[in-house]
Amino acid sequence: MTRENRYPDIVFIGQPNCGKSTLFNAIAGLKAQTSNFPGTTVKHTHSKVNVEGEVLNIIDLPGTYSLNPSDPAEKVVLTHLFSEKPDLIVNVLDASILGRSLELTLELIELEYPVVVALNMIDLAEKKGVEIDPKKLENLLGIPVIPTVASHGRGIKELLDASLQSLEKGLSVSHIKWSRDVEDKIEEMQDHLPEDFPIVGNKRFTAINMIAASKLLFDKMLRDINPSLKMNLDRVRSELETMHNAPAYEVIAAERHHLAFKIFEESSRVIRGKRISMLDRVDDVIMHPFLGYLILFGIFIGFFFVIFNIGSPLEELLLGPLDSFRVFLSLKLGEGVVFYLVDGLLQGIGGGVAIVLPYFIPLLFLMSFLEDVGYLARAGFLMDTFMHRIGLHGKSVSPFILGFGCNVPAIVSTRILESRRDRIITSLLIPFIPCSARTTIILALVAFYLGPFWALGFYLFNILLLGILGRVITLFFKTPSPGLILEIPSLKMPSLKNMMRNTYFQLRSFLKFAWPILIAGSVVLGLLQYFNFDKFINLVLSPLVEKGLGLPQELGVTLVFGFLRKELSLIMMLQALGVSYQDLMTIISREQLIVFTVFISFFIPCLSTVAILWKEIGKRVAFISMGLNTGVAIVLSLLVRLILVK
Amino acid sequence: MIRLIQAPSDTPLRIADIVGGHGVRRRLLALGFHKSDIIELDSRSIFRGPVLIKNLTSDTSVALGRGIAQKILVEIIDERK
Repeated sequence: MTRENRYPDIVFIGQPNCGKSTLFNAIAGLKAQTSNFPGTTVKHTHSKVNVEGEVLNIIDLPGTYSLNPSDPAEKVVLTHLFSEKPDLIVNVLDASILGRSLELTLELIELEYPVVVALNMIDLAEKKGVEIDPKKLENLLGIPVIPTVASHGRGIKELLDASLQSLEKGLSVSHIKWSRDVEDKIEEMQDHLPEDFPIVGNKRFTAINMIAASKLLFDKMLRDINPSLKMNLDRVRSELETMHNAPAYEVIAAERHHLAFKIFEESSRVIRGKRISMLDRVDDVIMHPFLGYLILFGIFIGFFFVIFNIGSPLEELLLGPLDSFRVFLSLKLGEGVVFYLVDGLLQGIGGGVAIVLPYFIPLLFLMSFLEDVGYLARAGFLMDTFMHRIGLHGKSVSPFILGFGCNVPAIVSTRILESRRDRIITSLLIPFIPCSARTTIILALVAFYLGPFWALGFYLFNILLLGILGRVITLFFKTPSPGLILEIPSLKMPSLKNMMRNTYFQLRSFLKFAWPILIAGSVVLGLLQYFNFDKFINLVLSPLVEKGLGLPQELGVTLVFGFLRKELSLIMMLQALGVSYQDLMTIISREQLIVFTVFISFFIPCLSTVAILWKEIGKRVAFISMGLNTGVAIVLSLLVRLILVK
Repeated sequence: MIRLIQAPSDTPLRIADIVGGHGVRRRLLALGFHKSDIIELDSRSIFRGPVLIKNLTSDTSVALGRGIAQKILVEIIDERK
């Protein structure tokens, strides 16, 4: 870390859905020198960029509405701001809701760290009929304001230039005055702060946040440390409360709110009255109390068939050459260790390309479409009632939907949930969502051999299972879930560039992290086979695999490796059975295929999922999740075997 | 003053008070819902799902669970004025 610290730190802060990450990616993707860590390893993304010979360390923090955090994702922002004191803050605003966005800006200015404002989505504001004068806004706020449209890359150069300039000149920021009576009280509080009091930002900011702090935690602490300061704080609060007839924190929030709207009104002009745009009409249909559900269901089924219809012909096309190459190799290399090694390598590389990517890429692309238009929150709204039946609410829907892509970021995204109870339940359920790896298995095995409707049935069964498990898990939690408060961001035209970029980022992280595991796994299996060690593992597992599940004994070893990556089981399955993809059904029956898929799908979450559960929620939950998944996998696959084989 | 949940849909309403606990009040404040903001309600829902609130002052929308919508007190704005 010390090496990196020589470069200036620039943090990106903004309210959720302000296009902050798009802006960040546009900058980092353009000139990134080093890697962009996917959400799996760190709480925030950071990247080094080179702007006109100057290396900057840019950091993307999660979206936050204010510096008064109410969920774990927002707490990350605060911790980072105070512990790593950045050299510059780039505050990204959604220009189309300028009034509210400015409330966070005002808070950042109070902190008196250098701030540059990126007035993002200025095109959307114009479409809404709001004309903003950036120069005027700049004067009112006293900090640089740069209009940007991140999705088209507009204004990015100007933003970087302004940032560099601010870094060079050293930007001085001073707060804007509030109402006289409130300012007086803040000053009074400031004067009471003892010399050795831990100041955050500056004295005024510290005083304001003491007054607005949540009484539960902070007050209790202060009472123990400094009783006389606590008494003064209580007095200031109660004076504010009697003057304004509202709790002190609301008085503070109202000050910012009024100031924000005053600045908004002075710097903007609303040209047209309320105009109903095409997107509003689309939104009405998507959120319609009846049509909305039809559309939601339609999207689910539609996605399924699109992915299958793109994936399976591609898979068939790619498998042909791969198989002939293997036949050629076995003729050339004979049966020595070289053949096993090369064959393992080929299976890993070829399997990744021919079996995984045809389904993986369309899935990623469609998922980024949903994210880009802003459908996730809408799905949360529609599904809220059903989520209540399993003891959660609509806010958990977006992590669930992300889980269809990959469980790991889905578990990270549970940070948007305010209550720990909801986070635990949601995180325990996410590993039961068929992620892209499992979708590949389901499509490549069940749909490919038995037909798409079998696979669709599998999916619907999976969702039903999710409901039942949710119901059962919530029985263990006594406190009810807090109610739903979920912002519905405005619907956006999907941007192809954005979607391609997101798909590319995720694909790249697959190629970098997962593919090597697939290749290494296959090579290791090749070696195990050469030394006949696989037979030993299979023998140990045979009571479960052969007696219990009724599968060929050779599949034992593939189940073990499935813990590393779920697709690995699929690729290794062919290798272990020693057949080509086309001939698979000559060796195992339809029933065995389904039992195998059920077991693999629900069996122990993959290594990365367990790791992120451990890190995000805790060791206990990670172990519970492993036990729960393995238990459910065994019970279900036994049941399926009993039902199908009779 | 009436509870938001009982207010008519698609009519301008003014937030008079929020009677919930601190957690709820803070969350709503952060999302830009303040006293005296003008809002509109859309409570159509076939499964008794959440209600949709459009804040006309800040031009934002939020979905609120029915329990939380209970805690917001509003007054109907007389449009003839």
